[in-house]
Amino acid sequence: MIGLGIESTAHTFSCAVIEKKGKKGKILSDVRKIFRPEAGQGIHPREASRHHIENSPIVLSDCLNEANVSVKDLDIISYAAGPGLGPCLRVGAVVARSLSSFYKIPIYPVNHAIGHIELGKLLTGANDPLVLLVSGGHTMLLSFLNKQWRVFGETLDITLGQLLDQFGRSIGFASPCGKNIEELASTSTNYVSLPYSVKGNDVSFSGLLSATKPISEKSKVDACFSLQETAFAMISETVERALSFTSKKELMIVGGVAANKRLSEMLKDVCKRHGAKFFVVPLKYAGDCGSQICWTGLLESQVKKSAKLKDTFVTQSWRLDSVVVNY
Amino acid sequence: MKLIKKGAEADIYTGTWKNSKALFKTRKIKTYRNSSLDSKIRKQRTIKESQMLSQVKSFGIPTPLVYFVNLEKSMIVMQEIPGKPVHDLPESKIIEISKQIGKLVGLLHKNGVMHGDLTTSNFILFKNTIYMIDFGLSQNSIKPEDHAVDLRLIKEILNSAHAKIMEPSWKNFLNGYKSVVGITYQTKIVKLVSEIESRGRYAQVV
Repeated sequence: MIGLGIESTAHTFSCAVIEKKGKKGKILSDVRKIFRPEAGQGIHPREASRHHIENSPIVLSDCLNEANVSVKDLDIISYAAGPGLGPCLRVGAVVARSLSSFYKIPIYPVNHAIGHIELGKLLTGANDPLVLLVSGGHTMLLSFLNKQWRVFGETLDITLGQLLDQFGRSIGFASPCGKNIEELASTSTNYVSLPYSVKGNDVSFSGLLSATKPISEKSKVDACFSLQETAFAMISETVERALSFTSKKELMIVGGVAANKRLSEMLKDVCKRHGAKFFVVPLKYAGDCGSQICWTGLLESQVKKSAKLKDTFVTQSWRLDSVVVNY
Repeated sequence: MKLIKKGAEADIYTGTWKNSKALFKTRKIKTYRNSSLDSKIRKQRTIKESQMLSQVKSFGIPTPLVYFVNLEKSMIVMQEIPGKPVHDLPESKIIEISKQIGKLVGLLHKNGVMHGDLTTSNFILFKNTIYMIDFGLSQNSIKPEDHAVDLRLIKEILNSAHAKIMEPSWKNFLNGYKSVVGITYQTKIVKLVSEIESRGRYAQVV
């Protein structure tokens, strides 16, 4: 079975083709164009959606060419229906609907966050993991029970990705800033005390963000180092709590911030302590991509009929713990 | 000393203290954490926990006795409660016990303390008495928002780890809670819990 997946929830417009044989999936192509705001600025939904509209034809045709398939070979089309930025989501949905109605290809709306998890499972081979989803849109600890992903802990305000991006922008970087912050942080070892806010299994980052900004006026490197150390220690602690509480033997980390090496290093240490296997999604597929949408659509097509065109909405707020998973 | 549990925060050993059986709870160094942050956290929580274990007894909440505190090692020596964590009880029993747990949490809040880590693993059933443990994240607080954070956490745990019995357990919990703090305060806190939930990412905004 061959599927096309379209991702456009935030800064990335991406199309991917995956061939599914039994339980295995082979990514034939995954093409992306990422909207890059100016330094110090965030993603403006209108500007990002304009970027997506301009780039969608070329991304789509590149993706099909690279996979060496034509539109007529596609068995299904899936698109990210949420959660995300409304104007951006709409672009992906329009492309998907157009292809689906013109070529009569079954269409599947997919939850973007579930996509991160399912692609992670495909690529890492994790079986029944505790999942840490850390990105610009999510900071959540999840485990699967009774056909649904259950939230064990999450952020009560901004996400880990937002924390890094908003701080990064305040010192002049352009989003996404994670990589720049990681590089600066690696040159310091001077820890400045910052607010540490773990509430049971939940975390809160907004106070940490406010407290880090004034430190950057004295030293940007110390601020980056201390910010990473504090925020990642908070995450690691909640992971440790959840591992101990659920007795899961696997931890899988997915989402854009999964690319951070310091975070992986800390979580590896946590896993070692609890005798759990550590899985991290490959760097290339940590961030938003069409593959995550495509693979989830292919999984859904095993158990579900395709959506009627009139039901192919986009939803800005769509929590992943409300999705029933039957495959 | 024998290691009996590797918890998230601390390792628990059994041993003897002045000729009687005791638990040794040690907050070990976490190598993944920056060392100055790590020692600050471990020290603070050890102090908080040992104080609170004693303080809440005066509210009528059963807790283990504290025998000794060693701050250098971030270690608390305390009485062993040889019961079972509520988390491991049969589901029907958890539903039943939820009311009692609600009462204990009510007592805690009524006396101006938040627990900070209300999970089903932190209540131990022993001889028909429920003991409350793990006060490392507790705080003296009369803020309704803090009390709501407590309730939201136990709700989250019921929803995730005990999803099948979430509804009856939560109902019983609230009934027990209400019987101590009164209906006005209970309603206020439950409303705040929904408010906190609505702050969650992509929550349904009604």
